[in-house]
Amino acid sequence: MVETAQLSSDAGGINDRVREAISSGKRPTRTILSSLLAVHDELGYLPDEAIRETAAIFDTTINEVWGVASFYTNFRFTPPGRHVVEVCWGPTCHLAGAPALIDSIQHMLRLSGEGDTEDGGVSLKYNTCLGACAQPPVLSIDHHLVGRLTADSAARAVSRVLDGA
Amino acid sequence: MSDRISLTIDGKQITAAPGTNVLQAALDVGKYVPYLCYYPGMKPFGACRMCIVEIEGGPPGTPASCTVPVSNGMVVTTDSPKLHAARRGIMDLLLAEHPHGCLTCHRIELCGPADICLRHVSVNDRCVTCPKNERCELKDTVRHLGMDMDTSLTYNNRHLPLAVSDPFWEMDMNLCIVCARCVRVCDEVRGDYALTLHQRSSRSLIGTSHGTSLLESGCEFCGACIDVCPTGALVERSYKWDKAVSVTTTVCPHCPVGCRMKLEVDKRGRLIRSIGDLGGQANRGQACYKGKFGLDFVNRKERLSRPLVRRNGRLEGASWDEALDEVSSRFADYRDGSFALIASPRGTNEDNYVAQKFARAVMMTNSVDTSSNLRPELVSPLRRLLGHGAGTNPLWDLEGSKGFLVVSSNMTEEQNVAAVPIKKAVNAGARLIVVDQRETELTRHAAMWIKPRPGSESVLVGGMIRTIMDESLDDHDFLADNCEGLDELKYALWKFDPIQVEALTGVPQDDLRAAARLFAEMKPAAVLYGLETVAAGLREGLVTALVNLVLVTGNLGKPSSGLYPLFLGANDQGSLDVGCAPTLLPGQASVADRSARERLERAWGASLPDTPGHSITHITRAINAGDVKALHVIGDSPNFTNGELDGFVEALERLEYLVVQDTFANRVTAAADVVLPSAAFAEKVGTYTNLERRVQLLRPALSPRDGQRPDWQTVSMIAARMGAEGFACQTPEEIFDEINNLVDDYGGITYERIGPGGLQWPCLAADMVDTPVLFETGFEARKARLGSLSLPPPPETVNGEYPMHLARGRVLHVTEGDLQIETVKGRNRIRRGEIVEMHPDDAAGIGVTQGDRVEVSSPRGKMQGMVSLTGTQRSLVSSTSLFGEMITSLEHDTSPDPMLRTPTLPLLPAKVTKVLEHVTAGTAGEDA
Repeated sequence: MVETAQLSSDAGGINDRVREAISSGKRPTRTILSSLLAVHDELGYLPDEAIRETAAIFDTTINEVWGVASFYTNFRFTPPGRHVVEVCWGPTCHLAGAPALIDSIQHMLRLSGEGDTEDGGVSLKYNTCLGACAQPPVLSIDHHLVGRLTADSAARAVSRVLDGA
Repeated sequence: MSDRISLTIDGKQITAAPGTNVLQAALDVGKYVPYLCYYPGMKPFGACRMCIVEIEGGPPGTPASCTVPVSNGMVVTTDSPKLHAARRGIMDLLLAEHPHGCLTCHRIELCGPADICLRHVSVNDRCVTCPKNERCELKDTVRHLGMDMDTSLTYNNRHLPLAVSDPFWEMDMNLCIVCARCVRVCDEVRGDYALTLHQRSSRSLIGTSHGTSLLESGCEFCGACIDVCPTGALVERSYKWDKAVSVTTTVCPHCPVGCRMKLEVDKRGRLIRSIGDLGGQANRGQACYKGKFGLDFVNRKERLSRPLVRRNGRLEGASWDEALDEVSSRFADYRDGSFALIASPRGTNEDNYVAQKFARAVMMTNSVDTSSNLRPELVSPLRRLLGHGAGTNPLWDLEGSKGFLVVSSNMTEEQNVAAVPIKKAVNAGARLIVVDQRETELTRHAAMWIKPRPGSESVLVGGMIRTIMDESLDDHDFLADNCEGLDELKYALWKFDPIQVEALTGVPQDDLRAAARLFAEMKPAAVLYGLETVAAGLREGLVTALVNLVLVTGNLGKPSSGLYPLFLGANDQGSLDVGCAPTLLPGQASVADRSARERLERAWGASLPDTPGHSITHITRAINAGDVKALHVIGDSPNFTNGELDGFVEALERLEYLVVQDTFANRVTAAADVVLPSAAFAEKVGTYTNLERRVQLLRPALSPRDGQRPDWQTVSMIAARMGAEGFACQTPEEIFDEINNLVDDYGGITYERIGPGGLQWPCLAADMVDTPVLFETGFEARKARLGSLSLPPPPETVNGEYPMHLARGRVLHVTEGDLQIETVKGRNRIRRGEIVEMHPDDAAGIGVTQGDRVEVSSPRGKMQGMVSLTGTQRSLVSSTSLFGEMITSLEHDTSPDPMLRTPTLPLLPAKVTKVLEHVTAGTAGEDA
């Protein structure tokens, strides 16, 4: 039996997932940006393959696509953590103690700013407003809001999620 | 002058063309306004805000003058206390992140590039970390603003890592002011998109996707980004720290485009940098990897520096007198037609004129040719059918073309800058048809890429003409007014039935019709052809078909249309014009033309042979047959050793006498009886005629070295020693005056008249203008003749050892396949697996399928790769490599003139065999 080798290595089928995301039509992908958004929605980040595939589809070079992708700070280029924690630091939350929340969560996660924990468990992001100004300060853990937190309760909320994972 | 806009700049009434921006209008009248992101020839960007002005009757506030088009009655103020303060504020911000030790140090004019400086500025930041060496536009602007550099802002060194691993090119983003000129020149002018701005706002910087190597980002290493960089952020690696003491503008010797280059020379007399000249009409400031990074061969120590004469079987040093005496006495024995002369592709018109005059008037033979004249059929049909053996239109006309047909030419590598206006036009909506078996960079820009069966190109073009006539898409008026032979053509077209064409070319009828319609509908359209993959016997027929195509669509005699033969050598057109060809006398007259011969005989005082001589393509055979016994080679040619002239070097052993003039020792000089050192292009005065008939002047950037002489002088001295009259010219200019007396098309061209833009022949008299577009006023006394078309004989069925054809291509970047950049000893290089495209039937024939590994062997070597069943032509395998792979090998090439060794992409006979042990790539499994 002769096995056929694929023309390119495709660990984890990322190329296929990228192509699927761009062509599946969940979002109209008429522009470079909408293609990138489709992949980002699907994979949670933009792998190198997404840049290449988008460049091939739009008959341009990887640099053009990268120029668009890197312009938007909400695109990430590495796989996200298993959980996403967003701390609101809008004015209301800020006044109600967001800095203390950030300090305690960062201390717990051993981070010094936004970013991913070393074990890939959590991606920490700052958010300019989560829209829950009536319950400051607010966290979003995997897109679920938790309000009226203190430094301690925030750290507990995050660690509960981590333990449950 | 009613179509010009009048406005006032700083109290001065000026006029400007509509659409000009205010900044350019001011610069054009000599009014300097500081600017950093603007660059002539590129779209305004408005990013640096340095060119702000105040305009009454224009936009309010202080608009950037580069973004405001001129309008009637504008009153522009370019300098006022308010503007000055604003500019200084902007500059403060720029300098807050730009190292500026070079501005504050009082020793700046005293230090050399390598001097150690620890006292005046901080060690990390001193001026010597910047390679710009007083060519910095930022620094000039600071000085213009009269700033004393006690900037009020805290300086922040960004400590960004340097990018110094790619070939030829280095990037220091700490010096970048994010004017984006480099990104824009790459996008707008070159059409490569190899660089981009990444991130945004204060963090934005120049780079590539994910910061990857230029080798895979689509870079063609033309150096345009370096040339436009206003700071030291982008520089050439070689001679990076060297400072120029002189700049001379001359013409690049690498290809027939004829780029005017500014050559910078340091105080030690070395050529340290070359920069495309914005005033050059053939290149408009552009260059390519060869001209940008391949001219410093003139500095090499290996340059031949004194004549060598073979004594007792060994080449030994000799004086010029000894060597010339020896040559002239031996040459005297070969005036019986057994002598041949091969001139250099880098020879000037003057060199090659003297060379052919020597061969004809002294050696009594027409066996004189240039070693780059491998495809004389590029222009011979044009001469026969149209009356002028030359390309018809200027290169930058192509910017305005709506359609292109490029046939068998890898022009982005061989005539790089000629492809720049094509890519620009295609990006602006023009349509490109490429006919080539090989994948080249232009196929990526093409609306249609047609791969006819090798040898069937003229059938394809004939089929296109047939479709155009059948569907009445031809230009009836043009044909009626200007052409003869239409009935014969129509009759001949009966044989080009689409079904027949499909059978012969392997191109589906629908594609054929689509291509014909596309070409006919896009007007004006231009045809460019290089004949690189076309066998010798088929070239005449193909070019004839292309001439017909251009004539039936009326694409001649108007701007942005016409025919562009793509030569290889820098002066191939000029060599034909001055008669450095075995069938042509000066003025491209046939050697059989009695009146032309008599005119020369009167001028030269000699009787001339009337039979054609041996051409470069037949010289090997002539030597082996004993017809040529003494050979005079003027060197600098890649073709002797790159496979184009099979067996040439071996045949040299059979000669009785071989004299070689060359810049470097090589396999040809090794076989010589006498070697005479040549001066290189950078040391020469003379003229080149480029592929658009533009005669341009070479000026010496370097003073000639001891022991090396320009080729015309060496040949003249040999001739004089043989007692010949008429070789007494002391300067190239005197020789050129002789040329313009004998070649009518050059009649009005003199050194004095050749300005920065050159002159395009025909320029018949001193009081007449030159001719950018041929046939604009029709075809004078005669009409253009439609050539006779016939089906070529069926291509020889390749069989025996190599039953297939291998078409190797090369492109700037690929999307499919594995590709890794690895860094070895600080230098990036590409690692990737080859993919071999095969027709499914061929693959089945040798029992392989998608993903299997095969070996392709040809007379020139072997390669392995993985099969992809995407081939569309039987008996044709193709494989595409990356330009990045070639450029790394050129960078590491230690031979004295590496750019001569750029591998060409011929169509090769080949065979494909299955590789038995299944070497896997990626995640593929082992052979079970």
